[in-house]
Amino acid sequence: MTEKWKEEKWAEDIWHRGKTTRRRLVGWGAGAIGAMMLVPAPWRAAFGAAKPFKIGSEQPLSGAGAAGGKTAVVGLQMAADRINKNGGINGRPVELDIVDDESSPAVARQKSEKLVQEDNIDAHVGGFLSNICLACMPVWVDAKVVNMISVCLDTTLTTTHCNRYSFRPYDYAPAQAVAFAPTLVTMAKKWHIAYLDYAWGQATRDAYIAEIKKNGGQVTGTTGIPLNTPDMTPFLSKISGDIEGLFGIFFGKDGVTVATQAYDLGLTKKYKWAGDGSISESTNLIAIGNKIDGFVAINRYIPVFQGPLDTPYHHAWFDEAKARLAKIDPSGPLPDKYVQSNYEALNALKIGMEKSKFEGRGDTMKLIEALEGLELKAGPDFPQGDKTIRKEDHQAFPQEFIFEVSGGTYHLKETVPGAKTMVPPACTFSA
Amino acid sequence: MTTTPLDKTSALPLGKSGLSHDAVYWIGFCVVLALLIAAPLVLSEFWRRFLTEVLIWGLLAMSSDLLIGYTGIVSFGHSAFFGLGMYGAAGALLLVSPPNLWLAMLFGLAGAAGAALFVAYFSTRLRDIYFAITTLIFSQIFYVIIFTWTAVTGGENGLIFDRPHLSIPFLYNARFTSTTMHWFVLAVVTASYLILRRITQSPFGMVLQSIRENEFRTRAIGYPVQRYKIVAVMLSGLFAGLAGVLYAIQNEFAAPDFVFFLTSGDTVIYNVMGGVGTLVGPIVGAGFFQLVRQLLAEVFGDQFPYLIPLGIIFIVMIIFLPQGLLGFARRWLNK
Repeated sequence: MTEKWKEEKWAEDIWHRGKTTRRRLVGWGAGAIGAMMLVPAPWRAAFGAAKPFKIGSEQPLSGAGAAGGKTAVVGLQMAADRINKNGGINGRPVELDIVDDESSPAVARQKSEKLVQEDNIDAHVGGFLSNICLACMPVWVDAKVVNMISVCLDTTLTTTHCNRYSFRPYDYAPAQAVAFAPTLVTMAKKWHIAYLDYAWGQATRDAYIAEIKKNGGQVTGTTGIPLNTPDMTPFLSKISGDIEGLFGIFFGKDGVTVATQAYDLGLTKKYKWAGDGSISESTNLIAIGNKIDGFVAINRYIPVFQGPLDTPYHHAWFDEAKARLAKIDPSGPLPDKYVQSNYEALNALKIGMEKSKFEGRGDTMKLIEALEGLELKAGPDFPQGDKTIRKEDHQAFPQEFIFEVSGGTYHLKETVPGAKTMVPPACTFSA
Repeated sequence: MTTTPLDKTSALPLGKSGLSHDAVYWIGFCVVLALLIAAPLVLSEFWRRFLTEVLIWGLLAMSSDLLIGYTGIVSFGHSAFFGLGMYGAAGALLLVSPPNLWLAMLFGLAGAAGAALFVAYFSTRLRDIYFAITTLIFSQIFYVIIFTWTAVTGGENGLIFDRPHLSIPFLYNARFTSTTMHWFVLAVVTASYLILRRITQSPFGMVLQSIRENEFRTRAIGYPVQRYKIVAVMLSGLFAGLAGVLYAIQNEFAAPDFVFFLTSGDTVIYNVMGGVGTLVGPIVGAGFFQLVRQLLAEVFGDQFPYLIPLGIIFIVMIIFLPQGLLGFARRWLNK
């Protein structure tokens, strides 16, 4: 490179006409740096406000979990828009970095690594399928990123596989079993459990067996049915004997199958019929029709305005969620627990970030300390109700709703306060 | 299927340069190896791990090339071997404290070998599509067992565990970093390649190629074809299991999804894309597939349906590059 450029007209104007000299340039530069150092912190914060917090979210937008993943994103987006409308977190807006994990642990693992290594997210909110939540746990731990789980139900996430970085601001099967078992035992003493024969179904089955027994009831038999079984009749038709109640643990299209086929076989008339609320999720109700009438279930969220859910903030949240869901599904489904828990998970993170004055990943430990034991109060941020994130295992215990389905809608029978669903912590954080 | 192993012309001199094919091959091998050794020093953390994973998928694809490219039989059971290797390693890492790398490899290889022996014994009695379907069914049987046997395998959730230390008894013991992990995987993949290359060039490998060309004639001249096929499936399964072990160690989890037959389908795609009967080709195919997928996500966004363009690329390659990327490169270089 030659120095010829210095002879150009424009260069001469800069360097040789007394307009700008090296000495002046250095002087002004030093002055500017000094001024920046002396400017008060609030001013710096104001200038830095433009930089958004990057919140990564891994969701199944294709593959087996796609339907639920898409509604989960509605909840997340709703929360992010509301946060930004109200001035962001600590004065900074929130930017969602949503990736499609394709319902595959291998893809999820690769994409979560990209989120922390390439996209430099500040925290993660998401996870829908439990196997993916578990597979990605080491990524959040290694990168020291807070992982606010938003849908995954597997019990071990906050028990044997718990870690300092992961939080679950909603319920899990053991808590639901504690809440529901007393009602079940009043309905019938002898139960038969039909369940989806894989990790979640088996863990939930075990929780209900223990709690029904503890409350003076009895589980006389269980029937495991493989996932995605289109014809469950061979399994269901074998359910007989000395039983008074049939309890179902299913979700998604398997929930539709079990509800319709149990009805067709006359099981729901012959026995008391109860189960996990996932069977009667609002997206399933249309497909099942009146065949699910009389079904008694438990869920952390149902789209009704009864009891503690008849609040102005729940009305407002419900209306907005319904409008947004109609944009992705013209059949106009009602908001479900996936929308609710994603919405509330991002809001829980927001409160933790505000409390810890979080500025970036370097403040992760401060954020964890702020989230541990954090009380989340019912209101526009948490339309489902109060909950506390327990310090010992990062598990929350929200209120649970026991309801009956009839006429294509939910009828709230009982609300179980979060405090009455508590299960002792079974987590030891590694050092 | 008619394919030609890379080394068929290895003894011939290479026209203009005066170097023999052997010399060109080894120079090329050393250059590529040197680049792969140096890669983690310049790549970012994400791409470093990406490259390591490509090597692992490449090893899986290379293992199936022994069957597809050299024996002329297509296996859809490789997901089972890969998965059993993964679960074997997971078992060792969970049961033995502190987790031991070599024990994990031993358990993983034992798991894969056991599954391969079982599958090979029954499936090698069959040929062509019947062999492929039988291996597929076996892989699905293993999948269902792993998926539902939650108490042992973790069921749908799989198993998560801590990564063992990189230990060489009495010499070295340290935590894996992404760089040392890459070098470790590279060493295993390179050693596997050299072993598989030696196998394919041995009299045993020649018999396998003879089976590929004409199974009836091979039997007619006195070779116990089924025994050769059993050994081929077992060897192939062993290296697939090794890939599973490496994947488990790199990612610290084992999941039933990897045992599902789709993993075997991906393996066949890597082979076809890279070039069957070349050993290196499947690694190139795995790299090409993963890289295109990643680049499409980078350019068009994460939610872009990358399988559509990848499917089109795959069809175009089958029509215009039936010998795969490596076969095409070889023909082009030999022009």
